[in-house]
Amino acid sequence: MKDVLVYIELIEDGVRPSSREAVSAGREIASATGGSVIALIASGEPVGVPTLDGVDRIIHVTHPALGAYTAEAHAAVLADMIAKLDPAAVMLAYTTAGLDLASAVAVTASLPLVAYCTDVTVADGALTTTSQMYGGRLEAVVRAPLPVVVSIMPGAFPEAVTTGASPEIIVQDAPKSLDALRSVFVDEQRPARGSFDLSLAERIVCIGRGIGAADSIAVARELADALNAEIAGSRPVIDQGWLEKERQVGKSGRLVKPRLYIGLGVSGAPEHLEGMRSSDLIIAVNSDAAAPIFTVAHYAAVCDMFDLVPALIERLKAGTP
Amino acid sequence: MHIMVVLRLVADLGGDIEIAHGGKDIDREWVDLKLNEFDDHALEEAIFLKEIVGAKVTAIMIDGDGVERSLQTALARGADEARRIAVDDTDGPISSRAMTPVVAAAAAELGADLVLTGVQSPEDIFGQLAPSLGAVLGWPQASAVSSVKPDDGSTITVQQEYSGGVSAAIRLPLPAVLGVQTASRPIRYVTGSKLRQAMAEEIPRIEATAAVAMPDVEIVELRVPDEAGGAVMLDGDADAIADEILRLLADRALLQVC
Amino acid sequence: MISQPAMRFDQPGRRLQGLLAAIGHRRLIRNRYSGILHAMIFVSFFVLATAIVQSFGSVLFPGFSLAPVGGDTWIALAQDVFAIVMLTGVALAAWQRLVLRPARFKGSNNTDANIIYILIVIIVVTMLLEAAFAIVAGSGASAIWRPVSATLGAAFTAMRMSPEFASQAHDVFYWLHVGAILAFVVYIPGSKHRHMLLAAPNVYFRSLKPIGQIPRPTPEVPPPPLAAATDFAWKDMLDTYACTECGRCQAACPAYASGLPLSPKLLITDLRDHFVTQPADAPIVGPTISEDTLWACTTCRACMEVCPVHIEHLPKIIGMRRTLIENGNIQPMLQTALSNLQRVGNSMGTASKMRARWTKGLPFNVKDARKEPVDVLWFVGDFASYDPRVQEISRTVALLFQRAGVDFGILYDSERNSGNDVHRVGEEGLFETLARENIATLSACTFKRIVTTDPHSLNALAQEYSAFGATYDVVHYSAFLLELVEAGRLPLGPTERRTVTYHDPCYLGRYNGGFDAPRALIARAGCAINEMGRCRENSFCCGAGGGRIWQDDSAMTERPSENRIREALALGDAELFVVACPKDSVMYGAAIDALGVSDRIKVVDLAELVMSAAETHS
Repeated sequence: MKDVLVYIELIEDGVRPSSREAVSAGREIASATGGSVIALIASGEPVGVPTLDGVDRIIHVTHPALGAYTAEAHAAVLADMIAKLDPAAVMLAYTTAGLDLASAVAVTASLPLVAYCTDVTVADGALTTTSQMYGGRLEAVVRAPLPVVVSIMPGAFPEAVTTGASPEIIVQDAPKSLDALRSVFVDEQRPARGSFDLSLAERIVCIGRGIGAADSIAVARELADALNAEIAGSRPVIDQGWLEKERQVGKSGRLVKPRLYIGLGVSGAPEHLEGMRSSDLIIAVNSDAAAPIFTVAHYAAVCDMFDLVPALIERLKAGTP
Repeated sequence: MHIMVVLRLVADLGGDIEIAHGGKDIDREWVDLKLNEFDDHALEEAIFLKEIVGAKVTAIMIDGDGVERSLQTALARGADEARRIAVDDTDGPISSRAMTPVVAAAAAELGADLVLTGVQSPEDIFGQLAPSLGAVLGWPQASAVSSVKPDDGSTITVQQEYSGGVSAAIRLPLPAVLGVQTASRPIRYVTGSKLRQAMAEEIPRIEATAAVAMPDVEIVELRVPDEAGGAVMLDGDADAIADEILRLLADRALLQVC
Repeated sequence: MISQPAMRFDQPGRRLQGLLAAIGHRRLIRNRYSGILHAMIFVSFFVLATAIVQSFGSVLFPGFSLAPVGGDTWIALAQDVFAIVMLTGVALAAWQRLVLRPARFKGSNNTDANIIYILIVIIVVTMLLEAAFAIVAGSGASAIWRPVSATLGAAFTAMRMSPEFASQAHDVFYWLHVGAILAFVVYIPGSKHRHMLLAAPNVYFRSLKPIGQIPRPTPEVPPPPLAAATDFAWKDMLDTYACTECGRCQAACPAYASGLPLSPKLLITDLRDHFVTQPADAPIVGPTISEDTLWACTTCRACMEVCPVHIEHLPKIIGMRRTLIENGNIQPMLQTALSNLQRVGNSMGTASKMRARWTKGLPFNVKDARKEPVDVLWFVGDFASYDPRVQEISRTVALLFQRAGVDFGILYDSERNSGNDVHRVGEEGLFETLARENIATLSACTFKRIVTTDPHSLNALAQEYSAFGATYDVVHYSAFLLELVEAGRLPLGPTERRTVTYHDPCYLGRYNGGFDAPRALIARAGCAINEMGRCRENSFCCGAGGGRIWQDDSAMTERPSENRIREALALGDAELFVVACPKDSVMYGAAIDALGVSDRIKVVDLAELVMSAAETHS
């Protein structure tokens, strides 16, 4: 019970970046326990293990049922591997798959789970994490004994770098339960090409819940027009039907990387931050000085957007012939 | 179909959060409780399913402050029945992980064949409820669900959301557990008069038939992260801030019309 | 058509008094040009009615004549003179409608008006000619008593008209006159000019209820939603038939001015057309009156204030909104606000426990009226409690109370939104919940009177809660502060004399008559008031009332608040825009920013003005 098992999530062109971050978080634990970092890759075809830096070993499980993701199949593989390896820690990134799997395998293996981790340290056989609560409004320092399941916040750890040696790849048989799965993958939907694509926007003015009930989206729209930017919204704004779904920024909407992102009244839920944190220039305006978006913004102002936005529009209009 | 919806109350954090003495919980003096917003979507989805296929909807909560009113609201919104589950006194809120056995037992007892709950709660750092329930009950499970379509009565097809606007349709046999992210339709308004009618209903309180179970894990400290993190704060009144922002944009050639 | 009862047969004396005031053109004359021309036509009509009686009487009852009572003498003179008055009135009316063309006529049936002008001219001219020919023929009244007809007659005589020809011409014009009258009588009931018949009963049967109340059948039974014609009361129908399409309501309406799809006039005429042409159970909300029209209303009551025939627009709008609420037709922003009110008792959705947090910035503790008796219970209101811009004003009010030695307390997190605007949004159930919660909280407190900083709360507490059997001595802080100043408890020092203007909040002024106290306070604080044209009863709403503050205003071409600030700027010398309502601080602060005129005028709350004067007192 020294090794660290990392669940690797595959996407179209290889490994999901947040899985590489989970590897580096896993490395921190493994260095303390003196164990290895073992990656678990579950795929449908027996070929094509992607390059994966920073791990000591890769366990590759293949089975036709693992090709397209279902929680049931992947949880079965992960739980099977936990039972076989008895790792000190199981690492997952907090993505949809991480969400599905972490709690399920923790219950199955009767292990404690700590989620939303932004920092992990091991001392005296126990794990101490810093975990986000309330969408980053609060931080909890959590202590859990090993072995433990750890789900990390995407973006909180660096992607793992190469250790020099190529990891050994071990092909393992899939558990028998994969032959009798109940969940069936039907099909996948991707955003249609050619339709409006927020992720291509160079400049985005994004509104959040802080737009309030008293005033309107019109003000923000006017600013977006003056900046030649696209208007976008955080999840609550879209859920309310104030903007079209295709204008949603965040994990459940579009991942955006514009040259300019201006957040108006966006508090910065984790799912939102994940969708915009790599923008080139992030300016956040919020009346709440504790808004989590300020942790990723480059420039921030605590002020009422209804005071600021008209002032901005006025200046932009004055400057344009 | 009998749908059980699990609802949870969470703290309604305002502008300034303060940590209580002892450093392990928030100061609840200025804090109300509110329904976890994803649970709200789970309830809406359940009622939506009831309207399209005639399911029975039972809303349950672990009993505590504000629970009766929340369940009355669920009835006003269209739930057929509601139960508050009494568990042994514990200190503070019960985590999603700890309530899992209690909720799983209730699902079995009520004879539910579909359990809906919110995909996450702002407090569930020890694990999310839906996958935990699926594991305890041995039922298939999916998180981050944005729509549920009943097929022929024995299976449902759910839409599971991934990042980048990608989603997949997954078919699950009943019984199943779903962590709902967004309901198929916006949350409907329930009128004050319907709420008033529901306020007259007493919500049956039932004893838990399983014990709260929590692995050995605990919060040793709770803190408010540093304000603003690494951002450069722009100070002054709206005009001063506007001037500063314009300068930033001009410096980066972001003012030209492209 | 089946309709609902209206209970409008009480207090005949008061009803008659109002009718007489209307006959005296009290409201009409506020618009001088049209008021005078209407009075000319109105009075002439009654005088010329004698000619009609004479014309018809003489044929129907052989031997009938008004001569014994002066038909050939002073009545004849009056007819002649008022024929000219009538023609002048009609000429003025036609000039107004065809040349001046005020915007309030937009959407009115102008053809209808023109036909009536022509009919009146025919009736009057034929009457004059008939009399003139009679004079030439040597019959009828003597020329002395008919100066106008006589002049015409003299002209005919000068044209060498024979008495025989004149006699025949008299008969022709007699029949033309009678024919025109008959045409008029036939035309009237189908035209907007039926107001000649219905205006008086409509004024007589007007609502005498306190204007801040939405009548509730019983404490247990809320007012019903208005969905189809059968839900409306007979008085609602009478209202629509009595409408003259004069458009005064449209000219006063802030929603109309802001470009939203609401004209109170068209609302009434659309309802009228619906009642006339559609089956009794045909749905009104949606097909006839659109959702957007109903949500546009700020419930400011300017329309009802100016209507010469006392049409009640608001009860209809609010009643139809109840239908929208019942059917779940609610805009997303409004839904958020209402859900917040259900959940935490304020529209912002901030925790109820945060309600009294503004008091943390005070140098003393504010008493908890739930825990100890107080003289004055301060009902703070949502915006004054939660909006950071208004919290500062709330602290100023608290400091003023303390300075004057007032023993006051607040309800802390037990206070709920008063429900005034929830009620006007049509959310009866939520209103009842909020009202009953506040009433229950208040009933457990000991206090002598309630002071509120919020006119909307004032209206709810003073007028609406009585529907649930709760009555209070409630006063707005403007009146309360004035009392303190006048009693010498809050001495004010000398201040630099400044010119300001004052905006009457709808729910303080029009709804609760609080026009004078704020003005007296402003004067006491050493300022001179330069009144805007639209002041007191004719004040122009900021656009926030009746739930509008919870709705999207992106469809507006000009926000009412900005229109109002422009009006204040046009005064030229008003440095300060004084308000006495927390919502006004928010709305006008935003309007000044939006217009970019913060260097020319500033919004200041009455309390801040008083504080600055109090601070100069040594």
